[in-house]
Amino acid sequence: MAKVAIIGDSTSVAGFRPLGFAVFVVRDPDDARALWPRLTSGEYGTVFVTEPVYAAIEDLVAEVVDRPLPAVTVIPGAGSAGGVGEAKLARAIERALGTSMPIKEEED
Amino acid sequence: MAKLRVNPNRMELLKLRRRRDVAKRGHKLLKDKFDELLKEFITRIGENRRLRAEVERELKAAYGLFAVARGEAGRASIDEALLAGAPGELLETAERNVMSVRVPEFTVGELPEPGGYSPASTPVVLDEALGALAAVTPRMLELAEREKALELLAAEIERTRRRVNALEYVLIPSIDETTRDIQMKLDEAERGNLTRLMKVKDMLAQQQEADEGR
Repeated sequence: MAKVAIIGDSTSVAGFRPLGFAVFVVRDPDDARALWPRLTSGEYGTVFVTEPVYAAIEDLVAEVVDRPLPAVTVIPGAGSAGGVGEAKLARAIERALGTSMPIKEEED
Repeated sequence: MAKLRVNPNRMELLKLRRRRDVAKRGHKLLKDKFDELLKEFITRIGENRRLRAEVERELKAAYGLFAVARGEAGRASIDEALLAGAPGELLETAERNVMSVRVPEFTVGELPEPGGYSPASTPVVLDEALGALAAVTPRMLELAEREKALELLAAEIERTRRRVNALEYVLIPSIDETTRDIQMKLDEAERGNLTRLMKVKDMLAQQQEADEGR
């Protein structure tokens, strides 16, 4: 069994505590750096990071990208612009195909 | 293309031909694997994109509800209400094999029922906000699983592509060039031998003629 961690500013992540998430509140996105070794120690199966935090610790996230666990997923924070998760995915696509793929919008 | 440093003899030629066959077979296998991985990857991208858009939309809606709750009851009392709850073991993690890539598989356990705050001192919209978050959580975890799988697949595709290219553009051409080279050297030696034999034969014939003439 594994826990689920979420890390971000208190406005975005506080609501997850009653749902059983391990909530790490950081005032400054850079504070996440200090927490990172703990988050990737194997205790957590999934780590959700808000967009500002991801932007601050992108290099650390890149280090665990080839490991099966933890799965680091970017979620929008309250009041952040969005699109960072898509960008992360686009990077994976670029890595796989050797080129970026024009994104096909499927409207249905 | 760099030639391999081997002695130009028949033994090496045979060895190289065998190596080429193996490389060719390996190349075909890897190429098939690469195509299959790519197919899997591309089908997953679409699903993932849809799921992500959905999750982001619902999360933002939930944030909106929280903002309303904070507005109604004040930030402090909402933050206090949300202090309840302890991190639980929400996930059962397993590993699955997708085209020889080990990807994690999550089974979401039961989410704890949000509570532990007084309904009297918190607005109704807080319940709604938590309900919205609870509703999106299983899909968030599914998204995490799928995105991780995509990332791992991407890494495997990259590795496989490198291998395919190394075989196709480096190893096989250099083996080809070396075999051609050895073949030419052997042919040259053969021709040298032949002319030497002819020359010796000529010389013998001349000697015989001279002997007979004497």
